[in-house]
Order: sequence, then C-alpha cells, then structure tokens
Amino acid sequence: MARHNLGTVVSFEVTRTLTKKRFWIATLIVPVVIGIVIGLMVTSNTTTGSQVDSQKDAKFTFVYSDASGYVDPAVATALGGGKAADQAQAIADVKAGKVDAFFVYPHDPVKQPTKVYGADRGIFENGKYSSVASEILVASAQRKIGDTALATLAQGNLPVTSVTYKAGKVSGGVAEVVPPLMFLVIFYVLIVLLGNQMLTSLLEEKENRVTEMILTTLDPTTLVVGKVISLFIVGLVQMLLFAVPVIVAYLFFRSSLNLPDFDLPTLFLKPGPMVVGVLLLFGGFGLFTSTLVAVGAVMPTAKDAGQIFAIMMALIFVPFYAISLVVSDPQSLIVQLFTYFPYSAAVTAMLRNAFGSLDPLESGIVIVELFSLAAIMLRLAVRLFRHGSIEYSKRVSLRAVFARRG
Amino acid sequence: MVFGKRTVVRDLSFDINRGETFGFLGSNGSGKTTTIRALLGIYQPTVGILHINGRPFRPEDGGKLGYLPEERGLYKKESVIDVMTYFGRLKGLSKKAASSWSLEYLDRVSLGDKARLRLDKLSSGQQQKVQLGVTIMNEPELLILDEPTKGFDPVNRRLLMDIIETQKKSGATVLMVTHQMEEVERLCDRVVLLKDGAAEAYGTIPEVQARYGGTTIRLKFSGDIPLSSHYDVTLQDNNYAELTVTDNVDEAVILRDLVEAGVLVRSFLTSRLSLDGIFVKVYGTHSEPAEA
Repeated sequence: MARHNLGTVVSFEVTRTLTKKRFWIATLIVPVVIGIVIGLMVTSNTTTGSQVDSQKDAKFTFVYSDASGYVDPAVATALGGGKAADQAQAIADVKAGKVDAFFVYPHDPVKQPTKVYGADRGIFENGKYSSVASEILVASAQRKIGDTALATLAQGNLPVTSVTYKAGKVSGGVAEVVPPLMFLVIFYVLIVLLGNQMLTSLLEEKENRVTEMILTTLDPTTLVVGKVISLFIVGLVQMLLFAVPVIVAYLFFRSSLNLPDFDLPTLFLKPGPMVVGVLLLFGGFGLFTSTLVAVGAVMPTAKDAGQIFAIMMALIFVPFYAISLVVSDPQSLIVQLFTYFPYSAAVTAMLRNAFGSLDPLESGIVIVELFSLAAIMLRLAVRLFRHGSIEYSKRVSLRAVFARRG
Repeated sequence: MVFGKRTVVRDLSFDINRGETFGFLGSNGSGKTTTIRALLGIYQPTVGILHINGRPFRPEDGGKLGYLPEERGLYKKESVIDVMTYFGRLKGLSKKAASSWSLEYLDRVSLGDKARLRLDKLSSGQQQKVQLGVTIMNEPELLILDEPTKGFDPVNRRLLMDIIETQKKSGATVLMVTHQMEEVERLCDRVVLLKDGAAEAYGTIPEVQARYGGTTIRLKFSGDIPLSSHYDVTLQDNNYAELTVTDNVDEAVILRDLVEAGVLVRSFLTSRLSLDGIFVKVYGTHSEPAEA
C-alpha cells in the first residue's frame, strides 16, 4: 500500500503541476525569452557581420599626418589615402566635406592615441575610420618585418595544444572538468527553480486544511517523499525546456552567435568524478529539499516561509566568495569549512570534485554527511508536518513539538 | 495524552460495537478532537491505541476508515473529480473505480455538473458535500465524523443524515462528535460524555439520562406543593411547576402524595431529562473557549 501510495502521490503532484497553465506560462517564458535573445543576437550578428564586410570593402577618402614614421605610404595609398600638407587645413577639409577623414599618427602610437577626424556617417559606420587607421599601422608594421610568419608571431595569435600529466597519466584538462561541473549547474538550477516550491509544498496541505484527511489516509513520510520526488521530476522537465533553445542555438546558429566550437566528443568522462558528482547532487538536493520542506511545515503561510528562503539561497552561493581558493588551495581553512559545513558542502564538494581536488576519503565523508543529514531532516520534516500542519494558522513552536511526548 | 506538562486526555477507554452509532460528546475544550486525533495517529498518544476489529489502526489501512475532521478542507485549486479520485486511489481503489464512484456520488448529491470545476469555485456547503464523499469512499468500516453538520443548512443536514443512515445500514460503525444533542438522541445508540479529558458518563442514552436526574414532572395545579424527599421543585411559576425526581420512587406515588396534600392536579406529565439538559448540568452554563 505504501509503495502504491507513493506512486499515487507522485503521479498526483506531477500531473497537477504539469497541467496548470500557470506552470507552462512561468516555465515557457524563460526559453521563449532565451529564444528571442538568441534570435536578436543572430540577426544582429548577421547585420554587424555584413556591415563589417561592407565597411572593409568601403572606400573613403582620407589624408594623414605621421609623426611616428611607422606608416608605410604605399599601404596608405593602397587604401585610398594620401599625406596631408597641413593639419589645420586637413581638419577644415573634413569639416567642409572635401575629404572623408584625417588621421593624425602621433610620435609614439603605442603610448599615444592616434587621432581620427571624420565626417559623421552614423554611429555604426563611423567605426570604419578607426578600423582603417589601425589597419594602416598594422599592415605597415607587417611590411616592415617582411616575414609573414614573424608578423603573425608578433600578433600572438598562435595555436597551442598542451598535454598535462596527473599521477603519470595524461589528464583531461578542461575537458575533464566540464562534465562533473554539469552536476553543479543542475543543482543550482533545481534549487533556484524549485526552492520556493519546496518551501511551500507542504504549506498547501496546511493552508487548505487537508492535513487531517491526508494523515488518516497516508503515512506522512510517503507524502513528504512523494512531494520531493515530484518536485525533482518537475525540475527536470523545466531544465529540459530551458535547455531546448540553447541546444538549438548551439547546433544551428553556432557561427552566427560566435559560440566556441566545443568539441563534445573530446569531453573526458571519468567514472570516479561522475559517480561522486551524481551522489553529491542527490545528497545536496535531498538535504536542501528536506530542510526547505521542514521549514515549510513550521510556517503558517507562504509569506512567512519566504523569509527563510532567502537565507537558504544565500548559503548555496557562499562558496563562490572563495572560488579562487576552492580551485587553487583546497586545503585552506575556509575551503575545508565550506567542504564540511552541511549547507555549503554540496556546492564546494562539487566544485572540488570537478577540479580534481576532492580525494576519495573527503568525497566519502561529504556524501555520507549529506545523505545522513538529508535523512535526519526528512524525519524532522515529517515530524514537524505531523504536528505543525494541524496548528493551521499558527507558527509551530519547535519546543512544543519536541515537548509533546506524543 | 500529554502536551508538555498538561494532561489533555486521561484514562479514557471505550468500545464501539460493530454497526452501532456512537456519540462522542463534550464541551469545547473537553478533549474530544484531541482524542480523535490521538486515536487516528495524527497526534501520537502518550499511551493508548485505536483498535479496529482488534487490530491497531495504521494510516496505510485508511481504506477501512472514513474520517470527516472538524477542520474541513481539500485541495482547492484542483478539480472536484481529480481530488476525489486522488483520495480514492489513496484509499486503495483503482483510478477507474475511484473516478466512477465519485461521479455517481456527485450525481447523488446534485453536484454531477460540478465534477470538472475547481473546488474553490464551489460554495462552502457544496465543498462539504465533496468532503463527505471523500470520507465515505471505499465503504469504510468505521466512520468518524467530527461535527458532521457544521456548516450545513437544514436541507443538506437532512441529506447528510440520510447518507450516514445509508452507511449505517450497509454495516458501517459510526463515531459522531457533535454538540447537536437532538441528532445524538435521534441517531446514537450509546454515548460517552467527556469532561476535562476524562469520561464523565458512558452508556446508552437512557442509562445516561437515568444517571443525571432521571425524571422530570411537569405539573399544572392549584394549591401549595408540599416539601418531599422524593423530588425537588426546580421551577414554579403561578400554577405551573417542574419537579425533578430525586430517588427511584414511582411517579404514581408522587401524584398520590400531591393529591393527599390537597393539591388540585390539573395536568401531570413525566419526561426524562433531555441530553441538552444533561449537557448543561454537566458542563455548567459556560464551556471552555477552545479545543486543546
């Protein structure tokens, strides 16, 4: 009966959430907004790209003065420019529209700015003046070097591949870090999306006075566990919906969005960190959910419970204040504290797990800690729900709950 | 049942026979709802347990029990049929059986056209009917009704009583917590009166009436009523008086004594003290403001 009832609770909770218009409006608004933003970016990047191309090809008349001696007159001439005889006259010519632009190269273009005077062609098109002014200097320098390879080296755009070793074996680098970090992303998304629902999930029974009907039909543990499972399922549905526009953008508009070409097959899925990541995710989710549910069981209304939610949210973001230490010095006191303090443990341990600084013993301790505390909080939540939910409009006194011998 | 240092219910034990309707009576704050909640495991009792057919009650066996709590409520944002089907499933019915039973019940209580509406779109009386439906789903063996008529208008009260009667006829045992003494006198086979968490009286209604003052004599007369050890004059107004019989003497003896004392008796009616009267007698003129 208990297992049957757990299935019934999960089915009821998931179905009633997924059949609500409000849920779909709230959920779809995110991917829709993401889709709109991506659409605008694609359109904008396409326009910008074509504008850049057209600017590249666009010819305009210009004159220049060169105090540095770096400008190669041949380069300037090839781009349609000529030397100015007099600086004041050149500016007057620009003002009068006789030439489009006048570039003033200073004595030391590395330290001093190159000045550009141009006829206004609009915010976007005006950018062509500085582009051409810079291009003249770069091309002149390259010509002076006289060697294409040297010129490229001087620019610093060099492909580099690295091989690193860990315990005598090739380590995966960033490709090894990314997969376990996904669990951290999932954890954050679930908590941020569902935290408020977790907090208010048991308040509904209380506010609607359903508690007594429920408690005489169903074991409260079944109800609480059923609610937690259904929240997890709802959260996964929301995550999938949020991911759709991102995946579509990555697959079909990668170049338009200038997204890095992330080579998915090269991601390094090491079984150890992946298993630890999953366990940390479930343990952390369990602890946060059961804590929020327990808080919800104590508070009389959603408004009262909301004040606690802010504190819980702050706790999961705290480890990011020490992110550099988490990555570079995992044995420092603050990182150790964050690793073992229950409400920062999941996030810190997931970060360290991804960066390879969480050894098996530490992983084991944190996982056991998270699951044990989640189980304790779940029992507490059930107890608080059992006693607190029939207090209805009153805030439950913990002292009263534990003093109640029954 | 102890809350902190306060004992709310003590040494309370009673049996309810299969198929009978049992009245659980008491003033506000006497411990009725606390007792019911403790019996059902909503509060874990300090000592004691509810046995149904000799076996301890567990919520997982909720199909055997129908409970209508004093604090009424269901999932208000859900449709009537969804809520009823959900509770039916929890009580062990299949989805199809729960749904068809619910639709049949809704037709019976004239809510057939409201099945797809959200509960909060229904009037409070209609919501009460739905809640009663949830209570009696799956033909419970034991029905516990805490203030069942609370919030019902007279028409719906009649409907509720009919439904309780039907359940009783189909073999259900009914435990009724109520302040409505006329309902108790009409429906209940036996009662327990709770005062300060302990049983003040327990038995059939005639047994309880016998314990609390027994017979009242309503008298229309001329003359002077003599003093007697057989009765107290509880009310006298011109030529009307009420005498409460204080011992087991036959009413005919009192009539004879009155006549022999020269009283001209125009009307002599005897009646048992009503449960209302007993209630006032037991709990005084005021009761506690709230349940524990």
